[in-house]
Amino acid sequence: MDIQCVSVLPRVCEVLAASGSSLPDDTSLEKLLDWFTATTNTGVSLLESAPCLLDFISNVAFSSTSGPGILSFTLKLTGLIAASEDGFKALEECSVLKLIFDPHHWKEAGLWEDPCLRIGWIQGLRKMLQHSKALRLFVQADLIEPLLQLQTDSSLFVSSAANQLLAHVLLLYQSLSSAGCNGANKRDLEHSGVSEQTIISCSGIITNVSEYLKKSLVLKESSHPPQSQQILKLLTLLLVQLRPPLQEQLLLTVIDSLEELVTKRWSLPLMDVILAANSSLQDDCVSKQQIVRLLSIMLYMKKPADVIQVAAAFLRSRQHDPTHAAYAAGVLLLPLDIATGISLLKTNSTGVDLRILMTEQLKSKSCISMICVCLTNIPQITVMAPDCLPCPQRLIVAAVLTFLRLCRGDSSSSSTACVEVSRFVTGSSKVQKCAMEALSELSKSPEAEALLADVFKLLTEYLNSPDSDPTVLQKSYKALINWIGVCRDFSSITDQLREGLMQAVRKRACDIRWEARDSTVEFLGHLAEVCPIGEEREPLKTLLGSCSFTIPLLKEALQDPESYVRASSIATLAQTLTFSWQQGAALTQEQEEIVTQLQEILSQDSEGFARRAVVKFFTAWFSSCPSPTSCSLLMQSVPSVLSQGVADLDWEVKLHTLELAELLLDKTFPERLPLHPYAVISNQPHTCHAGENESDLLCSLNSLVDQGVVPALLCGLVDCDRPVALKACQLLIKLRDTVSSLLVNAADPRVSCMLPGQSWVQEMRGNKDAHTQGAPHVGSESRDEAAEETPCTDGDAVCVSVCEVLRTLDLDKKLSVLMQSSDHIYNSPLSLLQDILTASTAASNPNSDPGQEVIVDCY
Amino acid sequence: MKLYCLSGHPTLPCNVLKFKSTTIMLDCGLDTTSVLNFLPLPLVHSPRLSKLPGWISKDGAINLEKVKGDERQFMIHSQMANCLQLPELELLDLSTIDVILISNYHCMMALPYITEHTGFTGTVYATEPTLQIGRLLMEELVNFMERVPKAQSATCWKNKEIQRLLPGPLKDAVDVWTWKRCYSMQEVNSALSKVQLVGYSQKVELFGAVQVSPLSSGYSLGSSNWIIQSHHEKVSYVSGSSLLTTHPQPMDQSSLKNSDVLILTGLTQMPTANPDGMLGEFCSNLAMTIRAGGNVLVPCYSSGVIYDLLECLYQFIESANLGTTPFYFISPVANSSLEFSQIFAEWLCHNKQTKVYLPEPPFPHAELIQTNKLKHYPSIHGDFSSEFRQPCVVFTGHPSLRFGDVVHFMELWGKSSLNTVIFTEPDFSYLDALAPYQPLAMKCVYCPIDTRLNFHQVSKLLKEVQPLHVVCPEQYTQPPVTQSHRADLMLELQPPPMPYRRCSVLNLPFRRRYERVYILPELANSLVPSEVKPGISVATVSAVLQSKDNKHTLQSVPKPPPAPPSKKRKRVIEEPPVTLAHKPLLSGAVPLEAFLATLQKHGITEVKVEETADGHILHLQAEDTLIQLEEDGTHIVCDNNEPLRATLRDLVLRFLQKL
Repeated sequence: MDIQCVSVLPRVCEVLAASGSSLPDDTSLEKLLDWFTATTNTGVSLLESAPCLLDFISNVAFSSTSGPGILSFTLKLTGLIAASEDGFKALEECSVLKLIFDPHHWKEAGLWEDPCLRIGWIQGLRKMLQHSKALRLFVQADLIEPLLQLQTDSSLFVSSAANQLLAHVLLLYQSLSSAGCNGANKRDLEHSGVSEQTIISCSGIITNVSEYLKKSLVLKESSHPPQSQQILKLLTLLLVQLRPPLQEQLLLTVIDSLEELVTKRWSLPLMDVILAANSSLQDDCVSKQQIVRLLSIMLYMKKPADVIQVAAAFLRSRQHDPTHAAYAAGVLLLPLDIATGISLLKTNSTGVDLRILMTEQLKSKSCISMICVCLTNIPQITVMAPDCLPCPQRLIVAAVLTFLRLCRGDSSSSSTACVEVSRFVTGSSKVQKCAMEALSELSKSPEAEALLADVFKLLTEYLNSPDSDPTVLQKSYKALINWIGVCRDFSSITDQLREGLMQAVRKRACDIRWEARDSTVEFLGHLAEVCPIGEEREPLKTLLGSCSFTIPLLKEALQDPESYVRASSIATLAQTLTFSWQQGAALTQEQEEIVTQLQEILSQDSEGFARRAVVKFFTAWFSSCPSPTSCSLLMQSVPSVLSQGVADLDWEVKLHTLELAELLLDKTFPERLPLHPYAVISNQPHTCHAGENESDLLCSLNSLVDQGVVPALLCGLVDCDRPVALKACQLLIKLRDTVSSLLVNAADPRVSCMLPGQSWVQEMRGNKDAHTQGAPHVGSESRDEAAEETPCTDGDAVCVSVCEVLRTLDLDKKLSVLMQSSDHIYNSPLSLLQDILTASTAASNPNSDPGQEVIVDCY
Repeated sequence: MKLYCLSGHPTLPCNVLKFKSTTIMLDCGLDTTSVLNFLPLPLVHSPRLSKLPGWISKDGAINLEKVKGDERQFMIHSQMANCLQLPELELLDLSTIDVILISNYHCMMALPYITEHTGFTGTVYATEPTLQIGRLLMEELVNFMERVPKAQSATCWKNKEIQRLLPGPLKDAVDVWTWKRCYSMQEVNSALSKVQLVGYSQKVELFGAVQVSPLSSGYSLGSSNWIIQSHHEKVSYVSGSSLLTTHPQPMDQSSLKNSDVLILTGLTQMPTANPDGMLGEFCSNLAMTIRAGGNVLVPCYSSGVIYDLLECLYQFIESANLGTTPFYFISPVANSSLEFSQIFAEWLCHNKQTKVYLPEPPFPHAELIQTNKLKHYPSIHGDFSSEFRQPCVVFTGHPSLRFGDVVHFMELWGKSSLNTVIFTEPDFSYLDALAPYQPLAMKCVYCPIDTRLNFHQVSKLLKEVQPLHVVCPEQYTQPPVTQSHRADLMLELQPPPMPYRRCSVLNLPFRRRYERVYILPELANSLVPSEVKPGISVATVSAVLQSKDNKHTLQSVPKPPPAPPSKKRKRVIEEPPVTLAHKPLLSGAVPLEAFLATLQKHGITEVKVEETADGHILHLQAEDTLIQLEEDGTHIVCDNNEPLRATLRDLVLRFLQKL
């Protein structure tokens, strides 16, 4: 803990204890507590470093005149201190613990009504309950009663926190008692502070809690449904975390209530309880049978809308129960079976009754939500073992395809169910989206290849349809990519299908909605990436006749009025060209035109997205080119990209530009990577290049200057956006360390560069002054003169010696400043403490000049 | 009340409503699809068309030069002399029609056939934009038909025996002998001179019997639905309405409420094509073609959707980098159509109206014209040929591709696959329209834009306005033939709608029960009402009922004229009304139990009571007398026993109130 803070803390405590109303803002107590918690977490004992806290707590506890905010804070602080056994002991010694956690004490003071206090009480206890002594205190003071009352508190926050606390108490008890049972002898136990007596006295809690749950499950269900849901969630939490025998003990008590609920009314939290119990219980448990029975009751319900939810929840929870899983899958597939007329299920697999009821239900508007549940859970079905599946996955794909056709209003079946369903789903983009998602997932199914042509045809129809919503189009593209990605054989795609897709893509690239254009451009990019690296670009070539189709479309998209589309098309161009870059293929006329167009975008586009994409394009080009230096157009473009990028108004453009600069830096000075991860790395960077020929280094540095890397880094360093300056600083340090052998000599005027603007010169001067003041021995007359002379100004542009700059700038100090967030001073604990003090002074002198306050405010 | 249906076309209706004493024609649409049976009329001689072989019957006996074609299809090669199929004109005497109500400019194209040469003497009611734009469309049609010289017409094929042998659609064409030539400009002018202009919600009295009033229907400039009502009955006529936000004033729905009968026509012809989607489709296909260096041909009417297309393109051309592509609008009435649209501000939707006050032209095509992006020409001759630049976009008529400048462009551009023809008008099947141009290399895109109500919208509308009965073309009562599983593409109502087809005569299912009668003040003063129930008073009145112009008035009975002063001039005068003895009017009901008790008091004990549908029959067995007690009358049947009858009568009267 900071010495300054320690010295201020007692006064702050005084202020807080005296009156809590004059706080600078309502979060300051939270911040204070956060600071205390952080301090404790570093292993520092709060009481040792700030003994005044103990006085503060007892003052507040005994006086009871403080506001509820301060009291709540005090309760939490007490809990925090008492979490360590030493702190607990100290607090117990001044007999403050019992008092402060005694609800009666606060009730008498009339403060318990405030939810703020109750939440402080709960969180304080939660913090404290880390060891057996605390648990003993909890039991002895009979705090379980008030805690149970708080479970259904009128404040939602309080009741939820109380739920958590209750679970925590039980878990603590469980861990302590298991430590007691697991063969440890009595002495060990006593050593660890757990007496048998504690465990016995604590076991009453379990009984209390189970009885409470048993009673309120049924009671609240009828009187307060939201509270009942809360209790069910608590029960799920307990069942998942507790272990036998505690788990079973709890379950045995509540199982009757659960059964009553199951037969009464279905709800998702109830399902969660049953599923949690089912998966966490051992097979030999007494209550396992009952739970399985309850599960069956729920799964075999006859209410279509509910049973679908149950089946979905069941499959999502990944239970190891093949019979039930098969049935649940059947239930989920039933709506598709009925709507499409494709028999996915054996006639009686889900029962005739359910089929009839479901068919009826599908004739109403609720069919949309039911079918959506069914479709969104298809991924759960596809991962099931084939012998559990009610039908081959191929049939499921066929059903989804038929259903998607139905959604477009085109159907071959004339069954009444089909006609009724089509009335609701035709043109519904919600259903179409779900079905497209399902189709995407189904691409993983083992027999996917055989259905490729059908899927392809349908997706092309969707892409072609004028009524497709942009989001549906996007999903269609995604599904198409997924299917193309898993297929190796495209022989089933006829020329007609291919032509259809090309036509659709070409049309969507001219769509009136920018979202559609954007998805189309992105699709082309994904398609280019689908093929494995190094292999022939099979999908792209087979489906769209290679780049001669895509590049003209993308070139058009570069002029799109919507900046997102421009940005996507630039990214897609990079994805499309990557392959030819990797091959080192010669640039075509078209590609050269694109580069010119991109440079125009970088210098003229009004939107950041497009400019960012341009810089990334060059980064991608540079990094995928096997030998960038041999590509003259790339090397010609780089200096202008760097100079324009770093002078951009958008900080992300600048940052991406620095990433490009980093690539160039790495290329010029390839790092000598250690051969294996455990190799010793020298701490002294300059020794790295001890054997380096100085003239080589100089030459490399010169080339970096020529490429515009060094000017870009120097500009970035003085940038007002912190991330940019930070990145530039890191790179400059890297550069400095690499060329350190050059810097040992006096300022080397052989490498110099031009920089626009004066700001960096001031920056350097400022640094140099600090440098010389801080270390007077280093500076010498001659060097100073040299430094003075080096910057020669030419209009606005300035010429500087690179080595001189690297030597003079205190980059490490700059780095440490940049590493801190810009509000680090404002957010420091000292500042917080001072704020509290200032606010109290202002409050105690209400007559102080109001004008001054205004000034402070403005500042 | 009767409805005579002269047209079976659901969007080009022609119905006649007989209501009270009036005969009202609702629209007179002209179905021009019959022209599809003819070969196109090229502006310049087309060797391709004239070289087509004539049709020879299988046995070789009949050889028709004028029926040309190949194995795909045969069509009539004549100058379209008698090519138009009119509404049924024989179903009733057209000279009896009092008024014709026009709902929009597409539904008045048959007007000259009705108003000229039939003895029609009535008035036509329409809004101003309907009249003006309707005139433009008629003028354009006449121009298209007349500018090609008429050589001769083909009639041979119309012979029933020969027609029977002809292939394809020709064989199935109906009533070909009744097909008529197109009207002349003179007839158009004469027909339109009978139009009287009306404004929305303006009430027009017809002979005092009914009142008609147009309501905004939201479909096109000046388009209207009509309310036809008397004091106690209301008929709504809904034709070509739209709920979409396009250029016209929005549809007035609330005034359609509480109709006894709602006649519903003019729903969308493309229920599965969403206009927004189609507009997007139109734009992207257009951009795609232009980018590839091709030309785009849009066959369209010279008014209507074209305004929306131009507005959409106005926004789109910038974003699609089409700024330099010229757009041409070629029609004999192109200039007037574009200018008329700008001056009917009061008929436009709200945000277009507000532009006028800025002041700015309500439609952005003004700016397109100003910046030379859109150019318009009366025809391909003259200025156009010197300005013509490709690639370009051409809007021109006629959408049937049988006449007009479009024929020329089809011949010019049909051979290149770079070009695209985009159909936006829903009135013609694009495949039929293209038939005479096959084989065609040009790309064809069908994006029909029909903004009229779809089934979903109409069922919502009907739920809201709650008419007692709905009458509609039979096509709306079943799903389309090609999509029999789409139960959502038909009207499902309770009670089911009454379907009609061409030549149907429907008795509309409601009887007139009330009539309004006015009482003159002095007569009203003399009445002495007496209250029979709380809030209901009754008085007897003796008066003279005068009916004039379908208005009924009760006047005081005139005093008998003084005796004629001299007997010399004998005049036949009406006999003075015989003054009958004042008989009180009775009201109330005879309670059975009480009546039986009273009878018993008077010594009539043997009474057999029989229950009937309307009341009771009491059989006084000893007296051999029947008393029939009914809701609105009591009969005492007794033979030759006047005292008994009088007694019984008095007993009955005791229970009734006298007025």
